[in-house]
Amino acid sequence: MNPAEQAALQERIAQAKTGNAEAWGELYREHAPAIFRFCRRAMPTREDAEDATMDIFIKVRQKLSQYDATRPFSAWLYTVAANHCWDLLRRRKLRQDLETGEVENMPLEHPDPGQLEQLLEKRSNQEVRRALDKLRARSRMALVLRYYSDMSYDDIATTLGVRRQFVGVVLLRARHELREILEGKSGARLAAGGAA
Amino acid sequence: MNHFDEMACLFYIEGQLDEARAREVEAHVAECVSCREMLHALQHETALLSSALTEDDEPMPARLLGERNRSLPSWAWTLAFGGFAACAYWFWIDAIGPWIDQLSNAGFGGTDLFSMIVFSGAFWEGWGDMIDAMQIGAVIVLAIVAIVWIRRRLRRSVALAVVMSGVLFALALAMPQRAGAAEVRRSQSISVPAGETVHNDLIAMGASVRIEGTVEGDVIAFTRDLSVTGHVTGDVIAFSQEALIDGTVDGNVRVFSRGVLLQGAVGKNVTAFGSSVDTITKANVGGGMIVLAAQADLDGKTQRDLLGVIGRTDLDGLVGGQAWIRGGNLVVASTAEIRGPATFIGREQPTVEAGAKLASPIHTEITQEIRRNRRSMAHNVISAIFSYAAALLVGILILAIFPGFFRATLRETGSIALPMGVGALALITGGFLLILGVVLLFVGVGAGVAGALGYAPILYVAQVFVGTWLGNKIMGETPAVMGAVAGRMAVGLLILHVARLIPFLGPLVGLVVALWGTGAVLMGFYRLSRVESVAGSPLSA
Repeated sequence: MNPAEQAALQERIAQAKTGNAEAWGELYREHAPAIFRFCRRAMPTREDAEDATMDIFIKVRQKLSQYDATRPFSAWLYTVAANHCWDLLRRRKLRQDLETGEVENMPLEHPDPGQLEQLLEKRSNQEVRRALDKLRARSRMALVLRYYSDMSYDDIATTLGVRRQFVGVVLLRARHELREILEGKSGARLAAGGAA
Repeated sequence: MNHFDEMACLFYIEGQLDEARAREVEAHVAECVSCREMLHALQHETALLSSALTEDDEPMPARLLGERNRSLPSWAWTLAFGGFAACAYWFWIDAIGPWIDQLSNAGFGGTDLFSMIVFSGAFWEGWGDMIDAMQIGAVIVLAIVAIVWIRRRLRRSVALAVVMSGVLFALALAMPQRAGAAEVRRSQSISVPAGETVHNDLIAMGASVRIEGTVEGDVIAFTRDLSVTGHVTGDVIAFSQEALIDGTVDGNVRVFSRGVLLQGAVGKNVTAFGSSVDTITKANVGGGMIVLAAQADLDGKTQRDLLGVIGRTDLDGLVGGQAWIRGGNLVVASTAEIRGPATFIGREQPTVEAGAKLASPIHTEITQEIRRNRRSMAHNVISAIFSYAAALLVGILILAIFPGFFRATLRETGSIALPMGVGALALITGGFLLILGVVLLFVGVGAGVAGALGYAPILYVAQVFVGTWLGNKIMGETPAVMGAVAGRMAVGLLILHVARLIPFLGPLVGLVVALWGTGAVLMGFYRLSRVESVAGSPLSA
């Protein structure tokens, strides 16, 4: 975003803060598609994503006065969105995740780079998205925060409520889960390559 | 040579290593093919993830686009409002107006109504019940609000459980308070024996209720057999199988009962809904009578007007004011006397025996005979086909004119239990207030009918959403293409209409569809109102 656009955005935010409906409408139209796509990636169904998008913008409108203009607006938006979605997922998925909690403690085996390349080679975006949908909530959320919203490890740690050092493990574990799903759940083959 | 593990490689490509460590990795990778391949593979994976996640693969849903609200053509609104206004006007002129006039003729309208309500004391006595009812109504409305509020914070099933327990708790709290305002008796057989005086209102619930003594207040009875042979200074309000009023009631009698037999004296008005309503010669009603019954044998005296919707009427006694009767047939016996104008609307000419005293000849309107009995299966099928076509047409119109509302409501339909709960609460609240308005205070008639009118279209469109949901379940979810949605709607509605033809099961299906769909429609309205506030278009601010 060039400085002129940046200034225009800040101007709109300032106007929206004072209750200017026109400015808020502009902000909403500019950012809603990205937030909807974020929710679409993070939440399990399209309906959940639509509901979440609406709720997020209700929150944003209420919290707009708290926005610190020195931070990028879209980063702040993603933080609000991520907190909202994760809050929903955590409440909903807590039980399922606890049931599969033992997976967390299994050691990750070193994959064979050649086989990994081969696995990724033929994959379309759609296939990857379908596989992402099958991930556990936290794994999916971590990947979305990192590779869709471009969030820092610190912000991911805050959002997911894990220690900073643990973010890498969560991301790596998520990648492993994803590979297993892409492989058709026969995850053993990839890992069998062992350390190179 | 020490290889780097996958985690270190990931940290390296993500820029999470400190400078020294990053340089170590670079130096190692320059020489180690295996680690270089690992880095490449991870980078490839990152690129694939980013592109899969950020690809713009589906458009924003219409309901999230603020513009949608503005794009709805204004002629659609104008047409809808115009149509609604025309229907409301027609309904008022053709149906409600005459009815109110008749009520007024019978002594329940205009200044008569006002003076009767305000100065007769019934108005003041009624308030206690009215306030209790309003409190219960308020609890129910609060429950609906609470469902909506809690739903956003808890899982749906939990929310429903919390709210239901809350409602039960609130009602349980309300009961003892009610008991403080009146004496409540619950047992198999309740009796106020001769000589006993109850210095309070009496609410009686049991298989049989006998009032032989005196009740200085109202009697409200829920029972199989009610018999009042003593003295009640207030009103008698009863829901029973058989009701006998043989003593003296100073106030009004409002009875819902299969059989109503009036032998004593009633100071004010009588309203009786029943299969048969009879008054004997010595019975005397100080005010007017409203009778809705299959048959009525009226030998007693009614000092003011008689308003009846009665299948077969035998009038042997006195009507002090006007008589207006609608029904199958009317026999006015030689002992009868009608002091005001008399109107009969029915299938055949009334029989007036010689000796009957009439102020003027009975004004008679003959209606076409309608055969409602023994409808043939063919008739049922044909009417089902028409009803199916009408419902489908209404559904397609809603889909075309209000697509956002349609989608929102359809989605609410999908959560099954919640809309059913909301629908049940809404219909119970509405029905409760309607009955309350009609029975306890006649001022409620207009409001009650208006409330029912509001429900009628919602009840009708309920089937559209349940039908579409059913179609979706059978044929699979569909993208929002109008033709596909309409096709699923057609299939679902067809199944519902066929199911309704089945004896016994049919009405049950109808009830479930009504509750479920009504809840979904109400929740759809709620959803839509929320979208408009979020979309942030200038219109919504």
